[in-house]
Amino acid sequence: MNQNLRQSGVKFLNALSRHADLIMQVYLTGSLDERDHSPKVIDNLIQLGVLWRPDEEVGLRLKNAVRSLLESSLHDERNRQLDANIGSALASLKTLAQHYKEALAHSRYTESEAHLSDLTEHVYGLAESLSNSVRILFGRINNEFGYVASIDAKIRENELAQAQVSELLKQLEMFRFEELSELAGNNRELRHLLIVTLQHSFSKVTQELSIVQARLLALLGRFREFRGRTRLLKGFMLHMEQKPDFTPGNYTKLTNVPLLFNQAGSLIAPAAVDVKRVEHESDLQQLVGTIKALNRSHQQEQPERAAQKINVEEQSAVVFEEDKLKQAVEGYFCDVISTGKRITALEYLTENDLDFDAEAWIYQVIGGYQGLTLEEQTYFAIDTTGDSHPIYSGNYIIEDVELGLR
Amino acid sequence: MITEQGRILELLLSGAFICQVTDEEAWRYLKSAQNSDKMESQLNVLNRTLATAADGDVFFAAYQVLTESERKVLGNQFQEISSNLLPLVEWLLLVQQAAGNDVPVTQGSAIRLNELQSTIEDTPAYAEQLEKISRYRLFGSTSTTLDGQVKQVFKRLTDMGYLIKPNQEKQIYLATGKIEYLYEVIRFIDETEALSLSEQAEQAVQQGSLL
Repeated sequence: MNQNLRQSGVKFLNALSRHADLIMQVYLTGSLDERDHSPKVIDNLIQLGVLWRPDEEVGLRLKNAVRSLLESSLHDERNRQLDANIGSALASLKTLAQHYKEALAHSRYTESEAHLSDLTEHVYGLAESLSNSVRILFGRINNEFGYVASIDAKIRENELAQAQVSELLKQLEMFRFEELSELAGNNRELRHLLIVTLQHSFSKVTQELSIVQARLLALLGRFREFRGRTRLLKGFMLHMEQKPDFTPGNYTKLTNVPLLFNQAGSLIAPAAVDVKRVEHESDLQQLVGTIKALNRSHQQEQPERAAQKINVEEQSAVVFEEDKLKQAVEGYFCDVISTGKRITALEYLTENDLDFDAEAWIYQVIGGYQGLTLEEQTYFAIDTTGDSHPIYSGNYIIEDVELGLR
Repeated sequence: MITEQGRILELLLSGAFICQVTDEEAWRYLKSAQNSDKMESQLNVLNRTLATAADGDVFFAAYQVLTESERKVLGNQFQEISSNLLPLVEWLLLVQQAAGNDVPVTQGSAIRLNELQSTIEDTPAYAEQLEKISRYRLFGSTSTTLDGQVKQVFKRLTDMGYLIKPNQEKQIYLATGKIEYLYEVIRFIDETEALSLSEQAEQAVQQGSLL
């Protein structure tokens, strides 16, 4: 029996986890769209008691037990239901306690054990449901019924919560500890469960409920204040729409002007400087120092600043004459091409009596060669003559270059 | 160095409304009966008295004895207040509706300008309402852009002491006790003129729900 119960429980939980997506979808949307899921899965869930169909016409919904399990573990604010059925819970506690006592009296210990564990479960269940109810109420108060938008809806929600609190308090009055104490007798286990545990949770819950009640009343007062203000503003707007020429009577003409409209005019003007106060001297000096002296003398007529006529002409174009040195280098290159002979730069310089500095000339020749395009460079062969530097290795001093055709 | 007492006296004499939001220290100072007695005797020298509004949330200086000249000042002030009521009420309702939580603006309410502006931008009815509000002489906006209108309205409200901006770099405004004063003025007019404004509003809502 126990084994079977365990197996079907595990099967049920597995089904929950396997179809978690489906269940959450139903939880969030309210009902299931049956076209999206296979009928086999749905049938299975109906059989397990996860889904049910309240009516032939409407869609499948989540069973309340599953829904409240989700609500309590997700701390969902939409959960407005409070379990306030303490009377029946207490009745079942009493019944179980009697079973337990009877079993003990007849020395049926295994049976009494089972009854005691059931009783424990019920007692803790009751305590948990009480503290859960208080938690739900606090949750709603703490975000000031933020899940509804308008003030009127908040007031309604507040009234619902207040009704629930008073219902819960009324139910709590059903706790009669003298009866429970009598029932428990001198049995230690029973006394612990029925008196200590329940009394503890009872006193905690009643204490918290009184705080909840006070907070609810304060909130209701605030909401009513808000509503009053909104109505005042809207009423004023409406009034002004209906009677646009409305002006309130001039209350300042009354013998006793209402304090509200008795607002004294402003009086304070900045103090003036006292130059004779010695202790202010340094401050004043600083102030004087920051004054900018702007001496704008009255300007006389300035003939030189008068408007003048400007002739706009086309600017003569500037033509750069090509560098003679560059021309000479080009001449040297052309000479090499036309004669086809190899000739060094310095030889060409002396042959043609060119009036350039030898070093500048060689630089220009090398530069001219390197300035050619790669294709043109391949037509020429350039050869340098010179020596390595006597002291600093890696330096090469060019004394002359020789140019020829390839 | 000015003493705390002197500082608060100066605030009162310059026509400021002192509440918990604008100047918490001064407000706490005036809350103590001993201090307010001291202040009272100093104000009396200048024919002024310490006045409170909105259940002691707001302090300001009132005249002790009214003669012709004081009445003239008060008359002008009253004209201004009563002509500013409608634009202010419209603005309060706009902010309340745009905030989406149906909570009226009260002392200490935080208004996030950027959020408010984007809600108004997304809702043409609010944008229209804002444009109407910003055109009132009280706000005097000539801007054609929504951004300019919002900025001008908030700037004016801050200048008049209905809002403060605690952090200059953030676009968050706090409603001051002067808003509470405003509610009290409307309530006073409602009672004195027997307008029964709340009932009118409630009836309108009920009729609206019937239609």
